Parts: sequence; C-alpha cells; structure tokens
Amino acid sequence: MPEANSSNGGVRTPWQVARSVWFAMFMRETISRTMADRFAWFWMIFEPVAFVGIFIAIRTMIRGDRFVIGADFIPWLIVGLMGFFLFREGMNRPVGAIEANQGLFAYRQVLPIDPVLVRIVLEGLLRTFIFLIFIVGGIMLGLDLYADLPMFAMWAWLSLWALGAGAGLTISAAAALVPEIGRVVKMISLPLMLISGVIIPMSLKSYHLQQLMLYNPIAHAIEFLRLGFFENYKTVSGISMLYVWMFALALIALGMILHLRFAEELKAK
Amino acid sequence: MIEVNGLYKRYHNHRYNDWVLKDVNLTIPRGVSVGLVGPNGAGKSTLLRLIGGMDTPERGEVKRRCRVSWPIGLTGGFKGSMTGRQNVQFVARVHGGGGQGVKRVIELVEEFAEIGSAFDRPVQTYSSGMRSRLAFGLSLAFDFDVYLSDEATSVGDRAFKAKAKQAFRDRVGKASLIMVSHGEAILREMCQAGIFLYEGRAQWFDEIDDAIAAYHDTSGMPDPAPLREARKATRKARQELRAAKAAHAQAQAEGAGQAHLDTLTASIKRKREQLRQHKATLAAFKEPTDDDD
Repeated sequence: MPEANSSNGGVRTPWQVARSVWFAMFMRETISRTMADRFAWFWMIFEPVAFVGIFIAIRTMIRGDRFVIGADFIPWLIVGLMGFFLFREGMNRPVGAIEANQGLFAYRQVLPIDPVLVRIVLEGLLRTFIFLIFIVGGIMLGLDLYADLPMFAMWAWLSLWALGAGAGLTISAAAALVPEIGRVVKMISLPLMLISGVIIPMSLKSYHLQQLMLYNPIAHAIEFLRLGFFENYKTVSGISMLYVWMFALALIALGMILHLRFAEELKAK
Repeated sequence: MIEVNGLYKRYHNHRYNDWVLKDVNLTIPRGVSVGLVGPNGAGKSTLLRLIGGMDTPERGEVKRRCRVSWPIGLTGGFKGSMTGRQNVQFVARVHGGGGQGVKRVIELVEEFAEIGSAFDRPVQTYSSGMRSRLAFGLSLAFDFDVYLSDEATSVGDRAFKAKAKQAFRDRVGKASLIMVSHGEAILREMCQAGIFLYEGRAQWFDEIDDAIAAYHDTSGMPDPAPLREARKATRKARQELRAAKAAHAQAQAEGAGQAHLDTLTASIKRKREQLRQHKATLAAFKEPTDDDD
C-alpha cells in the first residue's frame, strides 16, 4: 500500500516510510527517556553505581576478592554488571513498548515492531554511553577498567546487545499476546543475573554446575566480555561465541516472525 | 476513490462475537463528502476505522486510492509528558516531508490550534478542549484527499467550532469528508451523500437527507415532516421578533409618541410569546430524536 507524502504529493516507498517512522520514534523515545523525567539521567547512572556498591560491600565482607583469577574484583564486577544490564534492558524495555505506543497505531505508518526496534537501539546506545562513563570514571579512580583487547570486548558487547534484542523482540510480541509472560520475565531477571555468573565467578562452581550454567548464552557472552577487558582472566572452559550468536540470531528471527505473524493482533489490542 | 468490497468485521470478546459489519460493499467517489448515520452500535465507528486502516477486516478489503487521514481529533497518540510542539513534530516526522515539511506542519498547527504558550507545555497539563484543538489542527495541517471525522466537530468552544467548520468549508473541492455524527444539522451542511448503517449492513444514498430519512424510519421515530415544519415556523417567528424589535428601536430613535411605542412593545411581547410556543413545539419534536445540533 503506497503511503502518501504529505508535503510534495509524491508516493513514498515502504522503506522511506519505515525510515521516517524510525527516525520520528527514535527522537520521541530519546526525548521522553532522557528529558521528560528530571531524574532520568541520575537513575541511569546511579542504579549501576548502587548495585556495584552493594555487591562490593557484600563481597569484601566475605573476602571474595581472591576467587577471581587474573582480574581485580571491582572492575570484574563492573564489567559483568554492565554487560548483564545491557542484556536485561534490551529484554525488558521493549516489553512495555507496544502497550505504551498503542495510540500511535492510528497512524497507519506505525507498526507494532517499530517502537520495539527503536527501544532496543536506544537502550543499547544509552547503556554503551553509561558504560563509557563508567570506564572513564573507573580509570580516573585508578581501577583497571581499560580493555586489554578492545575489539574483542566490543564484539562481546555487541553480542550481548544482539542477545538482548532477540529476547526483547520475542518477549515483546509474546507478552502483548499473553500479558502473564511479561510479568514472569520481570520476575526472572534477578535469578537470571545469578545464573549468568555476574556476581559469583562461574569458575567457583562445581564442574557439573558449570556444565548446566553453560546452557545459558548470557553467561558465555559475559565471560567473553570480561576476557576482552582482562587479558589474563581465567574463564571457565567451554564458552563459545558461536553459541551466543546462534542463540541471538535465532531469537531475533523468532521475534520478527512473531511480530510479522501477529501484527494485526498486536495492533488491535 | 475508496472501494470497500465484501467487508466483514467482528470483535473477539469472551462470548459475544456477532458480526459488527456484514458484507459491506461501497464505492465512495472522489470529492464526495459522506455522512455515516445509524443507531449506536451499528458499526459506524468501526467502518470509519476500517476505512482509515486502523483496523483490519476479517474478510474483504478496503482499497484506498487516495490519501486518507486518521480520524480527526484523535488524541490517543499524544504523549502526556511531551509538549504539544514535540507531539506535533513526531506526527509530522512520521509523515515525512523532510525538515521543511515538518517545520511547516508545526507552524500550521500552532496557528490553527490557538493555544498560545501552552503549545510548549506538556500535553498532560492541557484541558480536554486544548487537547482537541491541538489534535484538530494536526489533522488539518496535512493535505489529505479524504478526512475522517468521528464526532470531531462536537469538541471545542463556539469560536473554535465555527473555525473548524470554516476550515472544512474551505477545503470543499480539494478534499472530502467521511463523517460520523449524530448532529444532523452538521451532516446536512457538510455532506452530499450518506451511508445508512443498520444491523451490520450498509446502504448508500446519493442524498444525505435520504440517508437520514431512512435512519429515522427504521428507528421508529416520528416522521420528520412535522419536525421540519416546526423548525421552519420557529425560524419565521424569530425573524418576526427581530423585525418587531428593530421597528421599536427605530420608532424610539425617531421620537415617536408614547402610544405608538406602547403598541410596538405589545407587538414585541406577542411575537416573543409566539416564538416561545414554536420553540416548545420544536423541542417536543426534538426530544425523541435528540440528535439535532
């Protein structure tokens, strides 16, 4: 269906329509995410700071520093938390996107997948920006937060983003069709952090437990991210980037299929 | 031109899922404004949403061979935490046209909505009237071939209503309207053709008056003929009263005798009484139909 261009009377191609929708939604989301709430920026930076602070307090009490081999504990924890937050936000933020933008589907050009894609990209950019702030702040405070293998770290960061995007795409469609799914996803984000080896190093666990934990692609990606930051870090054996990307691409494909198949149902809710 | 072929629509609820629209076939020619009439729940808004592409039919199709607006006065797409300007900017960007086009749309809306400095305040601080003004201005800022209106003209104060009507009149010839309204006066004024919806079926009338008459017939309302008569009589009485008042004022200005002035005053009183009676008759007719502007 050709869409009308309002200014020159010409007909826009579907690609042009999609691009202008993405641009408009991106600007809208950016404004409402970063400027509408006075404390938006504060929380974005304070939340990880508070998390890191709490865990450092807990871990120093039980003297956990020695268990991480080949890396300082605090940078190790910051990198892990940031990586996990990237995934978690990529998964959680899109869930409410369809419902929050229901009113926009009155404009024929806007599809349910548009707010989801825009939020995934925006969250990725914001998290990357915050991570950079943390890296710069950490280095200035004398922490070893400098990536030893920058390209490797970036690739791992990208893989976590893709993983979050896949989960976000799939769950946003599923949660809009079955609202209970959204609630369950919110509930599992904390346990997910525990089984992804964010706080307690996986190498501390028994071999059998490690094998179970290695079914979780987030754990793989976070270990890779740490490897990119700390060259001498001793990861568990058996982590595979291929596994992460297979998972990520499968989820992205599944999410897109769901959005395509149920586009009308998602709109009409 | 808009073509509607074999359209079926129902909503899936828990138990109740009867057809809202059953086998609707219509061809709306280019440049013809159409009024949709029918009782509540007949599917008027549903048909409008389907024509606007906000909803998809179960069966059948809607072919839009022209630029069709979203329903005018739609406020659902506004984000409360963002300013009116930002919301307008968003819609303008969605519809493309580049930086210049977006700027032009914003200027048009700002000018039409007349909400002053509130344009740069968050939409959640708006009154419902201000919100409607913004939404209305937004629809008119784009050059659509067909505008959809679901009771859009019933919002706003007197001045804004007049302005909105004028805006539509200005577009006659360039654009047409498809409107749902229970205000029959405005339907008669704005539309040429009519679609009467009843029990899920649609019937096309080349004259809006015929569509309204068909609606009145099926709704078991009194024949609109006496109503029309009463309306005419009221109008006449009002004119007479005005004439009598003018005569009185003129006589006073010319310094006529007291006796003459007294007769004129009595005449005004009599005319006023007549008008009151006619109005009462009209109101008695209007009450059961209850759908005139």
